[in-house]
Amino acid sequence: MSEHMSRSSAWSRYRFLTAHAFRMEWRQKHGLAGLLLFALASVYACYQVAGGRASSETWNALAWVVLMFSAFNAVAKPWPEDSEAMRKYLKTALRPGEWILARMTFYSAILSALSVLIFLSFTLFLGSEHFNPRQGLSFLLGLECTALAFASLLSVLSAISSRAGAGFGLTAVLGLPLIIPIVLISTRYGTDILKGILWIDTAHHLLFLAALTGGIGALGFILFPYLWRD
Amino acid sequence: MKNTLWKALGILLLAYVFAITFLVPLGPGLLEFQNVDRVISSATENRSVPEYQLIGYGTHWDEEPDALQVFVKSKSQLAALEVIRVDDATHATIGLTLPYSLPAKSWNVLINHPVDGTLLLENGLFLSDRFIDAQATWPAPSFVEHPGNLGFHFPYQPRIIETIRNLMLHVPLWFTMFLLMGIGFVSSIKLLSNPRNELDDQRAEASVQVGLWFGVLGLLTGSLWARFTWGAWWVDDPQLNGALVTVLVYSGYMVLRQAVEDERLRSRLSAVYNLFAFVILVILLMVLPRFSESLHPGKGGNPGFNTYDLNSALRAVFYPAIVGWMLLGIWMYLVTLRMKRVNRQIELLP
Amino acid sequence: MMFILLQTNPLEGWFIGSGKAYVVVGVACVILIGMAWWLLRAENRLSRMEKLLNSKKNAPSD
Repeated sequence: MSEHMSRSSAWSRYRFLTAHAFRMEWRQKHGLAGLLLFALASVYACYQVAGGRASSETWNALAWVVLMFSAFNAVAKPWPEDSEAMRKYLKTALRPGEWILARMTFYSAILSALSVLIFLSFTLFLGSEHFNPRQGLSFLLGLECTALAFASLLSVLSAISSRAGAGFGLTAVLGLPLIIPIVLISTRYGTDILKGILWIDTAHHLLFLAALTGGIGALGFILFPYLWRD
Repeated sequence: MKNTLWKALGILLLAYVFAITFLVPLGPGLLEFQNVDRVISSATENRSVPEYQLIGYGTHWDEEPDALQVFVKSKSQLAALEVIRVDDATHATIGLTLPYSLPAKSWNVLINHPVDGTLLLENGLFLSDRFIDAQATWPAPSFVEHPGNLGFHFPYQPRIIETIRNLMLHVPLWFTMFLLMGIGFVSSIKLLSNPRNELDDQRAEASVQVGLWFGVLGLLTGSLWARFTWGAWWVDDPQLNGALVTVLVYSGYMVLRQAVEDERLRSRLSAVYNLFAFVILVILLMVLPRFSESLHPGKGGNPGFNTYDLNSALRAVFYPAIVGWMLLGIWMYLVTLRMKRVNRQIELLP
Repeated sequence: MMFILLQTNPLEGWFIGSGKAYVVVGVACVILIGMAWWLLRAENRLSRMEKLLNSKKNAPSD
């Protein structure tokens, strides 16, 4: 691993790191399985809570709540650099910016897949009578954009809290207030879509989400090196 | 000497602000123009007309009862109504001396009085059972806007009424919080560029700590205001959500500081988080409310009061209030900072 | 509702007219002066402590 990284360009190191993150995740399958189980179980719990007949408002609200908590669950797993020795070693082999970008990419992929899964299981359990296929696709697009925003924010926050040595509790404390703005925009988008408002008339919410994702990602990329310093 | 002067200035300004804010009376305004479901005989028209009651707020109609004039206005159409009698300073009985066919349904009510000046009640009169003839034109009665003859007073604004005084507390408190969080933001940037400077870390912590107090006070005064003007202690509104989230995010900063043992690491981690927090503050309180519908004053664009909402009487208190609160905030910040430094020095004593 | 309240009980009357406004201003100013006094006292104490700490720090080098 170290030879490969010291000789290659930043781009190929980034690709290698991302692929490596997926490989590691695939090797210990209990992480992914746990995530799937958490998402499905919470959808089923929502189905029970809503009594199988969710109104369109309930449908909307529950979908975002499930996505939010699944996202927190996804970033809860510790990463290799959380150990002091591993971080010291990684610092010699690569730049911290590449690491956080790889981490964001990894979480973005995981959360995107998770949001598709949540959407499908929601339509399975809580029904899809509130929207036509077009609206469904627009809603899914909103979920995807939100998943990306969650991924960029939560990767930075989980990096901060793991560096603080305080574990997942701190991620939740720091993350929940910061995630509210994203949730506010997303729920407004979802409500508009389910109300039957044309996609183009509410698409500015997605633009906000994209700008937020980009801004947080850039800030994380600039600031992450300070977290790794000793 | 210079060092105590600005502190005294801050305290004096705030004392002035409190005194003026609570002691200056509110200007007169019109509360309601209501149908009392009776008819009354009109002296000028020799017929029975519907009786209306005009209710003012802080008006002085009993001082010169004969001089009270009442008009209704819709676009360019103006008509005078008959003042049957003035009951007391704030109540008058009006005869609705209007013909059956009217050019519009909805009318603004205007009054003229030598003491109170010209007052307006927007959409004060709504007549749904009349024949509407959009072409009808009336001879315009003579109407001259009257400046009034009152001492120093705050302007009457519908729905806000006496709570306009809260402007001197609520808004400067938030401004002061912005200033303190700005100090924290700059200190955090300086700390990250030069991690050895312990002072910047203490600056960031002290400013956020004091700024949080101002934020909480801003939330409380805002909640009070919302109860009076919107009828609920809390409403779902972009500006209010933003304010609450900002306070929560900065509380997270204090939690993060408690969670880390190692000092170097703590200063760095909290500086990184502080930068995130400030960016979120700017987005939530300055950017997002401009793009979404908000009940908050200046809705649909500007999250603050518009300049034309602030007349000279309000300005005479509002600007000193901003300076006074900011000076107090900076003083509190400096004392907190010195306390942290002394505590630190004591910790380092052998 | 608000109108009825205002008619029977004009704020001008019960706030400024009844002298309650003076109580509010008085309380606000007492809080303000109390705060200024506390801050000044804290500053004095801090100056004393800083002087003491500096003299301790400088003591070995004298």
